[in-house]
Amino acid sequence: MPLGLASPRPRSAPSPSLRPRLAAVGEQSALSVNMEEDAFLEEKAFQHYCAEFLKHSQQIGDGWEWKASKDSSDGYLCKTHFQAKATARSLPGASTEEGETWFPMEEALEVPSDDSEVPMTAAATEVVRYEYHVLYSCSHQVPVLYFRASFADGRPLALQDIWDGVHECYQARLRQGPWDTITQQEHPVLGQPFFVLHPCKTTEFMTPVLKNSQKINRNVNYIAAWLSVVGPVVGLTLPLSYAKVPSQDE
Amino acid sequence: MRQEDISEIWFEYEGTPLKWHYPIGLLFDLLASSSALPWNIIVHFKSFPEKDLLHCPSKDAIEAHFMSCVKEADALKHKSQVINEMQKKDHKQLWMGLQNDRFDQFWAINRKLMEYPAEENGFRYIPFRIYQTTTERPFIQKLFRPVAADGQLQTLGDLLREVCPSVMAPEDGERKNQVMIHGIEPMLETPLQWLSEHLSYPDNFLHISIIPQPTD
Repeated sequence: MPLGLASPRPRSAPSPSLRPRLAAVGEQSALSVNMEEDAFLEEKAFQHYCAEFLKHSQQIGDGWEWKASKDSSDGYLCKTHFQAKATARSLPGASTEEGETWFPMEEALEVPSDDSEVPMTAAATEVVRYEYHVLYSCSHQVPVLYFRASFADGRPLALQDIWDGVHECYQARLRQGPWDTITQQEHPVLGQPFFVLHPCKTTEFMTPVLKNSQKINRNVNYIAAWLSVVGPVVGLTLPLSYAKVPSQDE
Repeated sequence: MRQEDISEIWFEYEGTPLKWHYPIGLLFDLLASSSALPWNIIVHFKSFPEKDLLHCPSKDAIEAHFMSCVKEADALKHKSQVINEMQKKDHKQLWMGLQNDRFDQFWAINRKLMEYPAEENGFRYIPFRIYQTTTERPFIQKLFRPVAADGQLQTLGDLLREVCPSVMAPEDGERKNQVMIHGIEPMLETPLQWLSEHLSYPDNFLHISIIPQPTD
């Protein structure tokens, strides 16, 4: 599980010339990574990778958009999708004094003797609207995934709902440190509450991916690679065709 | 009020929901600096404004938010080297020192976050956020080095001219705005490195409010 990597060992501060950068369009190679150093993503490179990512999304109809900031040169990627969640709930009329009651499916199929209480249970699906934003963090020099979710009636999902909804294979890591993994934070452009996948470990798991691709002389789109790792934790998947997205104009 | 009618507490000032995750001094400077103390705010127990405020389900949420700001500040100052070298118990001590108002306990850890290598003249980048109530964007935050290429220490004025030029205009005319940190207006000639070391909030950020000049 990528988010569970050990914390980095302390290093002495590198001199500026050794600091690697991911080159923007027009430069010879998309990556110039010194093998000893971590790969940080500069903002121009972030915007370039997003542009390439967007082109592919438009080709396959994957629904991503770029939202530019009104007051500055920055912006972010965004996508909305709907997901159906199956729930079993009792219909109004079957409630007791304490409020709504949940009946296990087997009980519901029994024919009740008393006509005045019919525990009707229906398997319903709740539609949840997810909105994902990919922003750039200049502090950590990595992309960050922000998202929010609400039911069809506009009710937002709570942090506990989000934690509960994290895919089974990531639950163990989440339970180790939920407050270090997914929390509610203020969206830095919109100022509204969003959930965030903490960026602290991003450089750690992206560095081997980028170094490896450089070794085999293959250009990788940072955003596609990163999103394919972090997205699934919070219900966002990328079609495999993104793996072929070039990182510069070919 | 009946127990079942009470839901999450939240605070408001003159129609503005107050963000609990902002330092209270920042909120006061930004929204009410010209009003007399004590600051009168409204406490709500109903109708939590979901679209405006983060939920605060427990003390853990506050600790997590505080630590995430401290980590972000250190990412800017030291590429996270100082914060990552600390043990979990040091992080806990920083939080507990703040929570329990223990100055020495807090600073025993925080002083390490305020150091920089002898060969440098300051931090790598300065952790700062600039707030104005007139913008949709909640704050301005950018990369800014405390020392210029020629070795000169950058000042508060240099920062504003670079990231928020409308605040400084007109250069020679009367300024329309106040630049406030912790309720005071530092001289624009103050070196930013010094401000970062001495006037940061406990989360290690400089929270700077740009407010209209008071008319009295």
